[in-house]
Amino acid sequence: MNGTIRGFGCKSGIVLAFAAGIFACSSPAQAGIYDAGKVLATSGVNITDGAAGGGITPWAVIAGYETNQGINGSIHYTYANLPNYSLNSLGASVGFYDRFELSYAYDLLPTGSTFNTVGLLTNTLAGVVIPDSGIDPFNTSIRMDIFGAKLRVFGESIYDSDSLLPQVALGGFYKINHNEELMKTLLANKTKDFEAYVAITKIFFPLDLLVNVTVRYTAANQTGLTGFGGPNKNKREFRPEVSLAYLLAKNIAIGAEYAAHGKNTDGRGVAVGGNIDTSVLGSITGALNNIGVAGPVGSLANNLNDTLTQRESDWFDVFFAYFPTKNLSFVAAYANLGNITLTPKQTGAYFSVQASF
Amino acid sequence: MKSFNRLLAGGALCLLSISTFAGSETPEGKVQATYPPISSDAYEKFGGKYGMDRWVESLFKYIMLDNRINYIFAEHGKIDRQIKLNQQLVAVMLGAPGVEYQGASMSAAHAEMGITLTQFNAVVEDAYLACEDLRTPYHTCNQLIAALAPFKRSIVTR
Repeated sequence: MNGTIRGFGCKSGIVLAFAAGIFACSSPAQAGIYDAGKVLATSGVNITDGAAGGGITPWAVIAGYETNQGINGSIHYTYANLPNYSLNSLGASVGFYDRFELSYAYDLLPTGSTFNTVGLLTNTLAGVVIPDSGIDPFNTSIRMDIFGAKLRVFGESIYDSDSLLPQVALGGFYKINHNEELMKTLLANKTKDFEAYVAITKIFFPLDLLVNVTVRYTAANQTGLTGFGGPNKNKREFRPEVSLAYLLAKNIAIGAEYAAHGKNTDGRGVAVGGNIDTSVLGSITGALNNIGVAGPVGSLANNLNDTLTQRESDWFDVFFAYFPTKNLSFVAAYANLGNITLTPKQTGAYFSVQASF
Repeated sequence: MKSFNRLLAGGALCLLSISTFAGSETPEGKVQATYPPISSDAYEKFGGKYGMDRWVESLFKYIMLDNRINYIFAEHGKIDRQIKLNQQLVAVMLGAPGVEYQGASMSAAHAEMGITLTQFNAVVEDAYLACEDLRTPYHTCNQLIAALAPFKRSIVTR
């Protein structure tokens, strides 16, 4: 746990140093490449994966307030408070000439009491040699680095109001999850993987509306926080994501997002002791019932199986975004993330602050 | 001749002047076709001729107080003429009856000026300020923005 806090502090240091570097570049002496000419709010915010977009979905817009004449960027910090987890996301993005974007985000997910159930189970299997399950005695924290790149391929999200053509971008992420033992416990296939996406964005001024559709090619579980792929293999699939933002004013937007998730570890248990898949308990219970030996033992196994069965839900959020200036913006959201690994009904508040140059 | 050209250039310099079918070189003078179409009551919500004229005056007030772009407009002079032409343009673009735009096309007028997107966006920001000044609701303002936005392709040359 100490390592994760130090890691977070170290990464914040790197992000702030990056921020200072960009800020230095924005002095008049370097005014050649620094550019803040975009209209307010039109490059969205930084998502938890680091790229420019909504809250959880990357958009076709390029990060920063620069136009085709320069370079700009932003840093963000996001905090989400769910019943069994909290999510911290700290990151930075740079946009080059409104054409190409690079981003980095560090996601830290303290899991609080979530995995204490499993920890209790592993501790009660006395006498059995148990490999490291990756679960700390208290507050296991999941850490993930996300490197992103995005290229705007064609189209214009803002100015082509006389056409239906949207702005289209291709992008990708490379995600590194640092909790290798925990990912094995959760039956993920890999801890490092890439994602690719195509994003389509357009603003319809007569309706005060921004619409974005993203299709992501990925095998991630919970965006990679619980690994990639499942017990069988690392199967990538196309998952749709949609964002709608309604502009109440030039600096206020409300909206909603939806992101489809996968089912790589759905219905699976956790790999207790490295070898025992708790979903096996289900079949044992079934067998016991079939031969008429139910009762307390059967119920116990059944309950344990339900508790230790993973599920993953699609994500949904409604948000309120406020842009007082080009340098600062805030997002407050209510997120319904459904089932996350073992815990159901993960709904809670999401708050993000972003600073641009 | 030079001052006449300047007149044309200055008149069309209003970056938010209305357009017909942007992207083509047809003379400005018809209602902008957008997807979806702008509200048919936008002109009325702007206050009709009186309100629209005040809006263009307010826009130029903000432009001339905007150090990012005021010198460009000032260099071309004849601000009163620019205001008058823009009042015509905006009215035509929102579908006002009986108005005719007498200025030059956007691309012709801005061809030699090297306008950047930052400068174009500065006028967009000033347009929103003018709407707030005149208590025109954001949704109504966006009808005008939608009609003007395609001019970016004709005006921004850098």
